[in-house]
Amino acid sequence: MSTVVTKEIIHVTDRCKSCDHCTSVCPTGAIKGRLGEKHYIDHKKCVNCGQCLINCPFGAIVDMSMAEQVKKALADPSKVVVVQTAPAVRVALGEEFGLEPGANVKGKMFAALRRLGFDKVYDTEFAADLTIMEEGTELIHRIFAHVGVPGYEKSGPLPQFTSCCPAWIKYAEDRYPKILPHISSAKSPQQMFGAVAKTYAAQKLNVNPADMYVVSIMPCTAKKYECQREEMIASGFQDVDAVLTTRELAQMIKDAGINFLSLPDEKADRLIGSSTGAATIFGVTGGVMEAALRTAYEILSGQSLGNVEFKTVRGRKPIREATVNIPIKELGKTVPVNVCIVSGLKYVNEVIEDVLAGRSKYHFIEVMNCPGGCINGGGQPIRRDTY
Amino acid sequence: MSEIKGKVLKHSEQTRTMHWIHLICFIILGLTGIGFYFDITSIDNLFGGSANASNVHVWTGVVFTLGPLIYVLFNFEKFAKFIDTITTFTKDDFGWLKTMGGYVPFIKAEHIPPQDKYNAGQKILGLLVIIGCILMIVTGFPMWLLRDTMPAILVWLCWKVHFWTAVILILAILGHFFLAAIHPKSRVEFASMMIDGYVDAEYTSHHNAKWFAQLKKAE
Amino acid sequence: MNIFVERGGITRRQFFKGTGIIAATAVFAGILGKIGIDIFKASDKYIEKRIAGLYTLDERMTIRKSHENPEIIQIYKEFLSPGEVKPLTEKSHHLLHTKYGSEIPELIKELEAHRHHAA
Repeated sequence: MSTVVTKEIIHVTDRCKSCDHCTSVCPTGAIKGRLGEKHYIDHKKCVNCGQCLINCPFGAIVDMSMAEQVKKALADPSKVVVVQTAPAVRVALGEEFGLEPGANVKGKMFAALRRLGFDKVYDTEFAADLTIMEEGTELIHRIFAHVGVPGYEKSGPLPQFTSCCPAWIKYAEDRYPKILPHISSAKSPQQMFGAVAKTYAAQKLNVNPADMYVVSIMPCTAKKYECQREEMIASGFQDVDAVLTTRELAQMIKDAGINFLSLPDEKADRLIGSSTGAATIFGVTGGVMEAALRTAYEILSGQSLGNVEFKTVRGRKPIREATVNIPIKELGKTVPVNVCIVSGLKYVNEVIEDVLAGRSKYHFIEVMNCPGGCINGGGQPIRRDTY
Repeated sequence: MSEIKGKVLKHSEQTRTMHWIHLICFIILGLTGIGFYFDITSIDNLFGGSANASNVHVWTGVVFTLGPLIYVLFNFEKFAKFIDTITTFTKDDFGWLKTMGGYVPFIKAEHIPPQDKYNAGQKILGLLVIIGCILMIVTGFPMWLLRDTMPAILVWLCWKVHFWTAVILILAILGHFFLAAIHPKSRVEFASMMIDGYVDAEYTSHHNAKWFAQLKKAE
Repeated sequence: MNIFVERGGITRRQFFKGTGIIAATAVFAGILGKIGIDIFKASDKYIEKRIAGLYTLDERMTIRKSHENPEIIQIYKEFLSPGEVKPLTEKSHHLLHTKYGSEIPELIKELEAHRHHAA
């Protein structure tokens, strides 16, 4: 069953006051209209990131909603509805119920999802760990190919870009097709989860994948576009059927009359629901990088990391860089790995230009569309104090 | 009939020019503002489409700001006197406010206290216009020039303050226009600001008795 | 005919009131600007708080490295690379990897062929 609604996710409504604030927020210049004119979105350029939506002073920008389809699936007894929740949701969902930003409502969130009628409550963080396994190994192979280890000649070029952010992927496809071989072929955690849920989990749970309905709770509006991409059918079905934003989940919880704050803390279901700290930080700019370094370092060096925190990749600056010296067991020498983190799609152009011109010294580059990472995504609670 | 003959020069040429500039700007700003706040396309089209209308709005805003500013710099004495008058409230002013100067039909006004160059109502209007214009300026320019850097909340705040100040100003100015140009008791003043600057001494001795007494003393 | 005109010159009181109101306006604008800058500075504090929230969660996790997740080890051993933990197998390429841009139509054909084959 396909739930294609429209791939044009973000829309400016009639409530637009023509204030022109959004055009400065849009990373791709997709919003048309001068000061005083009603604005509209050029969907060819739009990467569906929703930054305009959360920054509109008048709440005049909206995202296409799949909430009705999800409610229908929940009400359908023949469907096994499986839900996954992204890391950034659990530190922002509480804001919709009066808590401070950053308040951890992980346990209450799982409890609320069960009470909403989801049959299996899993965690996108599991898929984030899976992403690290695949993407990290891919990076290792590319580095091996680069330093001339035999047997890895077919690996892609360096630097490798991350592939978790669907806004970044669409931007690269639209604007820089030449950079595509540099992007990790690993799917985003959301899509890995969908593919694994309808194959591995369906087998284990003894469920016909045709009857399985995969919903993801995302801090992101671009994920709504990603799940509808035509190639995301590896399981033989649309891998992820519907995406709800943090805001939409909060609304569903409120509509269902659930007293969120008084819920007990529950855990995600086992099988594809357990996670690690490395997966948790996927929601922060620099997090995918740090998670990849934790795993790549240990696999390459064969040594256990004493301190798992790579503080040098953390921070809020739009472009950050760091060098990590990794002793590579197979080579018998230490290789400095240069990494770069881009937070805010506006800033990626210069990094790409450097790579295309052969000037880039980096091995691994993380790109996230939203300033600060997924925790500031277009699907997160709208704050009056946004910038 | 009274014995007082002659005329009083109430508003100088520069004051009148400034008033005209402000008046014209105010009308353009009000029209374009109403046009895009309420999405009235016909008003926008009057100024060549919505983007042009907003261009007209912001640049008229510049003139609206600079006009009085230049006036104040070159006519500081007049400005200082004006400010002194409109910020001084005595019991005569409160007396005027109690009877509303006899302008409101259902309030009895047997005795209206003598008034300065501006009566209490005009003083309040003056203060409203000054405070209102400052608010319009401090919210208007950021919405135009800082719209990219301001956080959403500030854009929203400026918008709300700009709108409600505009509502108050437009209502105040409509009242001002009615009394100064239409009301039979006071419309003789129309010419003093809009044309030659003069009012009848006879009229002034009634309506602005305290000021007229000062002028006579100075003679 | 008598023409009455205001005399030039102002009193001290008028001078101070005139300069006073100009100064007051400047101070008022300054205060508003200060408030504006404060709001601007506070406007993205929520991002920092959410970031801190996730890092705190990370610190509290018993396992902090992806390759140590027992369910990850399980899915490789039982499903993706039976018997061992080995990323980038054919199965993981099929399920967990994708292609971009102009290579997508070809990938869709492959995936659809796989679907018919499986059926």
